[in-house]
Amino acid sequence: MAGSAADAAALAERILAQGPSSYAPWLDRGPHLDLLERRALPELRAEAWRHTNVARWYEAVLHGTVTPVSSHRVESPAEVEVVDFADPRAAELQQLRGEETYRLSAQPITALNALLLGAGAAIRVPAGSAASDPIRIVDLPAAYQRILVIIEPDARVELIEEPSTYTHRLVEVVVQPGGQLVHRRHQAASSHLECSLVAVRAESGAHYELSLLSLGSDLRRNDIVASLAGVGANVTLRGAWRLDESRHLDNQVAVHHRVPGGTSRQTYRGVAADRSRAVLNGRIEIAPGAQQSDATLNTKNLLASDAAEVYAKPELEIYANDVKCSHGATVGAIDDDAVHYFRTRGIDEHTARTLFVRGFLREAIDDLDAAQMLGLIQ
Amino acid sequence: MSLLRIEDLHVEVDGKPILVGIDLAVEAGEVHAVMGPNGSGKSTLANVLAGRPGYDVVRGSMTVDGEDVRTLSPEERSLHGLFLAFQYPIEIPGVSNMEFLKAAVDAHALGRGEEPPTAVDFVKRARVAATRLQFDPDFLKRGVNDGFSGGEKKRNEILQMLILEPRLAVLDETDSGLDIDALQVVADGINAFRANSNAVVLVTHYQRLLNYVVPDHVHVLADGRIVHSGDRGLALELEERGYGWLGG
Amino acid sequence: MPERTSELADLVGQEHAATGREYAAGFVTEIEADTLPPGLDESIVRAISTKKEEPPWMTEWRLDAYRRWLSMPPPRWAHVQFPDIDFQAISYFSAPKGDAPKSLDEVDPELLRTYEKLGIPLHERARLAGVEAADEEAPQVAVDAVFDSVSVATTFKERLAEAGVVFCSMSEAIREHPDLVRRYLGSVVPKPDNFYSALNSAVFSDGSFVYVPKGTRCPMELSTYFRINAENTGQFERTLIIADEGAYVSYLEGCTAPMRDDNQLHAAVVELVALEDAEIKYSTVQNWYPGDEQGNGGIYNFVTKRGACLGDRSKISWTQVETGSAITWKYPSVVLRGADSVGEFYSVALTRNFQQADTGTKMTHIGPRTKSTIVSKGISAGSSQNSYRGRVRMNPGARGARNHTQCDSLLIGDACGAHTFPYIESKLPSSVIEHEATTSKVSDEQLFLCQQRGIDPEKAVAMIVNGFCRDVFRTLPMEFAVEAAKLLEVSLEGAVG
Repeated sequence: MAGSAADAAALAERILAQGPSSYAPWLDRGPHLDLLERRALPELRAEAWRHTNVARWYEAVLHGTVTPVSSHRVESPAEVEVVDFADPRAAELQQLRGEETYRLSAQPITALNALLLGAGAAIRVPAGSAASDPIRIVDLPAAYQRILVIIEPDARVELIEEPSTYTHRLVEVVVQPGGQLVHRRHQAASSHLECSLVAVRAESGAHYELSLLSLGSDLRRNDIVASLAGVGANVTLRGAWRLDESRHLDNQVAVHHRVPGGTSRQTYRGVAADRSRAVLNGRIEIAPGAQQSDATLNTKNLLASDAAEVYAKPELEIYANDVKCSHGATVGAIDDDAVHYFRTRGIDEHTARTLFVRGFLREAIDDLDAAQMLGLIQ
Repeated sequence: MSLLRIEDLHVEVDGKPILVGIDLAVEAGEVHAVMGPNGSGKSTLANVLAGRPGYDVVRGSMTVDGEDVRTLSPEERSLHGLFLAFQYPIEIPGVSNMEFLKAAVDAHALGRGEEPPTAVDFVKRARVAATRLQFDPDFLKRGVNDGFSGGEKKRNEILQMLILEPRLAVLDETDSGLDIDALQVVADGINAFRANSNAVVLVTHYQRLLNYVVPDHVHVLADGRIVHSGDRGLALELEERGYGWLGG
Repeated sequence: MPERTSELADLVGQEHAATGREYAAGFVTEIEADTLPPGLDESIVRAISTKKEEPPWMTEWRLDAYRRWLSMPPPRWAHVQFPDIDFQAISYFSAPKGDAPKSLDEVDPELLRTYEKLGIPLHERARLAGVEAADEEAPQVAVDAVFDSVSVATTFKERLAEAGVVFCSMSEAIREHPDLVRRYLGSVVPKPDNFYSALNSAVFSDGSFVYVPKGTRCPMELSTYFRINAENTGQFERTLIIADEGAYVSYLEGCTAPMRDDNQLHAAVVELVALEDAEIKYSTVQNWYPGDEQGNGGIYNFVTKRGACLGDRSKISWTQVETGSAITWKYPSVVLRGADSVGEFYSVALTRNFQQADTGTKMTHIGPRTKSTIVSKGISAGSSQNSYRGRVRMNPGARGARNHTQCDSLLIGDACGAHTFPYIESKLPSSVIEHEATTSKVSDEQLFLCQQRGIDPEKAVAMIVNGFCRDVFRTLPMEFAVEAAKLLEVSLEGAVG
């Protein structure tokens, strides 16, 4: 640990001293200030930060710049409403969201996002609409960003977060009854220190689908919390990552089945090479009374070098008995037998390994073009 | 005294009437076939006889050997000689067939006031039955229906019937999903079971099984009541003409 | 059919009012005891050491542990809830009055009767209750009986001595085998390993010590039977088992306590050391008083158990059947240091009423080609919470190491919880970790099938649960497997009205 690493208390003090950001003044920052005053920021080595050095990220927060910019680059089809998060209309959309998708106002890292917020967009997809073009989040020109997405009943759309840089990004998604969202997150390799939180609420009969493609970063942490809050909600999460050099990716995923009859599927494939570190914590929680929930998680990891590290922690927390829940996790190496088989057919070792990794990752990729463009697969 | 007597039986499931006045008498030594289209209430009849929770008798009576079984628990009905071969036999992983059968046989022996058979005698009996139904020798060690094919599950039901020697066997669509070889094995098992002291009720959609197990009486169930009764010929007529001509 | 589910839950939830029918070991032995006043400070630590006539190095060792403990916070990460423990309200030493018996003939008859009642006869010609049922050829079992803070009897010592096996109380080992104790005590579970191991290191009162010399196969099963009797007293036993090169030993521990309304603390430490080609099989049938149907009383079972496979090709195997205790917090672990060494963990944990269990294992792979297997079966009923927590770590150097973990939960009723928290950590491409977890319930359909075949629901549940646990029971010595299955059945039976 670097001796100069910022600690939570010092950071809280600094932010309290400088006061909250002037961006989107309608946002109620009271609870967030409270959290900082109560010194609630996670300390180094807190359980939730076992594998990511939160102090290094605090360092980035301390030394980063906070410039509010009321401009954004979001490309969207005509029927979709997009406003800047600072716009008073965003406050109305926030009302439309209903209750928080997750205990955001009790979440200390989110408090930093709220207090330092500099750019954002609020997006509404009108009821019943079926846009043929995706919504693209191209760039939000500030370190602390917020995206609010409301999919109204029976609307269907695809949302793409293109590679961009930030210190913290918060994405809140509500999929109202019968709505469908395919959410693509594309994360390029970078030397930034960044954290993000995706908080999703899927209401009755809603489908939420996440496709995460990532190459890791100097420090990259993705928190993903999806709630199945209506009967018959369906959540599908897919993640594929390949890390090299000394890149870092920490995915903390939680799927909460709050009501009966929800279905969730999670599939993750990760490759860690060189001196990289890949983390997946995947939790399935079945609330009391959430009977007939059906939840699975499957994660497979390849270690491609002696110095790489993989940490996987699939968890089940189950408070109802009439449920189908399972998870599976493996960590291993590229199958030498498979490589040998390729070679006996005249394919050189490097190509064989590339093909093998590609095939392995494909199990969690549904958009090969995007994965290829990102450089995740060759 | 009839072995099975059902009078004016009305049954509801989730408050919805399924059976609306069934009358049926089965004598010892007889085989009855209960046929009917999907949703006619055939399986309900089988399940309510065995006392499956959720099937509410709202009117009428059902007696086995003169005793009204309505208030008996499922296991008491079993000890009283009533056997149900399930349409969809459930899997019980970890519990071996051997263990399961021994527990059942012991319960029946104790119910008759007899000593349970010794393990050695029991295994001999179970092996004979397993061979008759063409199970591998390792069958007894496998979990109950665990990883069984559809045909194996149905054969296992017949095996349990042969070992428990009930007075009245109700076979709920035991023929469905069987290939011709398995159907033959199952039919042989049922024919071996037939005796003057017991009776069989075959609940089935198709008359295919009846080519191998010839019934004394055939009943047609529609909309929760028996609309036709006859002999073997009725089943053949159904095969030719379907259920449509029976009307409501 | 939800009504049906709640009917099943009722069946399981029903209790025979606190008559103790379902917990046969719940009686109290009236015996005069020498008990230290409640509270903990250096003078208490010294007093325990003095009572046990320990050499000064041991006293210092305890004091060091005590001072470290003072600065440690109690662990809070487990998925269990209980009020803070007042460590000053507990008495740290209680022993039956009188001099330590020199032979079995001198043991207080009241104590002999207590163990008799528990099915653990201390006469050498007799056999354990579970063994009696088996045939005459059944192997004999040597027993070390620990009553509150002291070992009251150890059987078959002479016969074991002939084979060179040392089996005695920890107190005796400190006096008679100081070199072995000094070398290995705290070598597997260091004093400051965790809050409770530090506490145990400061105040442990007795426990069992086993040494099996080079190339020796221990001629009989060894077992220790722990009994808490005194009120407001903690039990802090310490067990150390050393299997020298090529040695083999199979060891079983059992434990019970009276029914009381207050919670009692049991914080043991068990250390196993396996040298080259040695094998240790350690089985536990844990039946501490679980508390009543409202969740009052019961033992807090906060235990640190760890084995070190120091030598190449050594093997340590833990099997546990956990049915008792209000709260269980234990992770029998293996540090796989020797090349080709093997670690195993087989666990059945049954919780009902308001019991809470957070149990599992840690497999730390250090040596090349080390192998570990984890099979965990959790059964939750009533309003209980049952968690598996396990860590598998592949360190650099564990080339070609493998782990396989299977973790299954069975839920009975809809008011309980079943949780799985596996930590998978690998820094090594040539090693393989595989983890699988499933959740199932005793289904209405399964019960109905059993009933249709004449089997009553209580028996059916026991049969299904036993089937669920089969993979673990088969790793127990035969006579104990029978006992464990019976214990599980009784635990469920007492519940299934």
